[in-house]
Amino acid sequence: MQIQEKIRPQQAATRKQSWVDRLPAEVAAVLTEFRSAEVSTLAKDGTPIAWPMVVLYQPERGRFVTTTSIGLPQKAYNVRRDGRMSILYSNPTASGLTNPPAVLVQGDATAPDEVVTWNEDLRQLWSLLAVRQPGSNVYATNPLGRALMDWYYMRLLLIIVPRRILWWPDGDFSRAPREIEVGNVG
Amino acid sequence: MWAELVRYHALFDSAVLTGRDAAGYPFSVRCVPRPDAATRTLRLTLLDGTPLVPGPSSIIWHSHDEQLSSLRNMNLRGTLERDAAGWFLRPLQLLPLMGLGNPLAVLPFLIGAYRTTKRYLAKRGLPRPAIPWAKINEAKRHAEMAQRAR
Repeated sequence: MQIQEKIRPQQAATRKQSWVDRLPAEVAAVLTEFRSAEVSTLAKDGTPIAWPMVVLYQPERGRFVTTTSIGLPQKAYNVRRDGRMSILYSNPTASGLTNPPAVLVQGDATAPDEVVTWNEDLRQLWSLLAVRQPGSNVYATNPLGRALMDWYYMRLLLIIVPRRILWWPDGDFSRAPREIEVGNVG
Repeated sequence: MWAELVRYHALFDSAVLTGRDAAGYPFSVRCVPRPDAATRTLRLTLLDGTPLVPGPSSIIWHSHDEQLSSLRNMNLRGTLERDAAGWFLRPLQLLPLMGLGNPLAVLPFLIGAYRTTKRYLAKRGLPRPAIPWAKINEAKRHAEMAQRAR
């Protein structure tokens, strides 16, 4: 039993590493450089609804993280009801990439019922937005912005473990996508 | 709804259709919906063998500028269907617009978010959390300095 417990984390890490390592460089670049992605959750009636969101790709943890304010909690409610989720990277604006592929990540998400105002994920998120969305910095720096927008900084995490990653070379959806099966990791 | 949909659709080069695959997972593709005024549907050209299955679906039109600003967003719920002419989406509900139409529409959005925040906390018996502004601004400053050093 002790041996199994020691081996399991190693196996999980190896499996997580395998799909991250198998991603073509141009696909990994999309996951880190695209400014927004269309993140889809399932509404109560089963309708998949997409919203443009900023997504953190955390290859070292084999997962994706996005967040929403508790003032806009519907995406988290959807995930708590049904964790099936997808992330499409199809808008290359400001990415600096030339003819990048479009990438679709399908996976299983969790949305803990914990209001987070600071952790390592949020540190990464605010750091990213500081340079990619400089206009948003004003909310945190002036007293009026803080008073009116504090709700925006009370966050719920959505953590996505991928099961399947597809991509369309050159962002050309008229061609069949390529695919990496990720499976049930971790 | 149809007139508003067609009017704002014309502002975008393409949109993202999200339906579900056979396993029930959301599956999204970028496409160019074509309004069909006669049937008030949006015709879609999808790849042969698409994993999308008919049923509840949605289309989002959105854009941002180089600074992740000037956000524009239109989200339409509907049903994905197929007939002899191919795939189409039958519109059911247009969700509140963002960055399109009346600029004052952002006010109810902000007020709604503020009220939802209060309800979320009250329902769980949580006090309004203090925001660690110093940590947030320090992280932002550090990121800006790192960016300038590149």
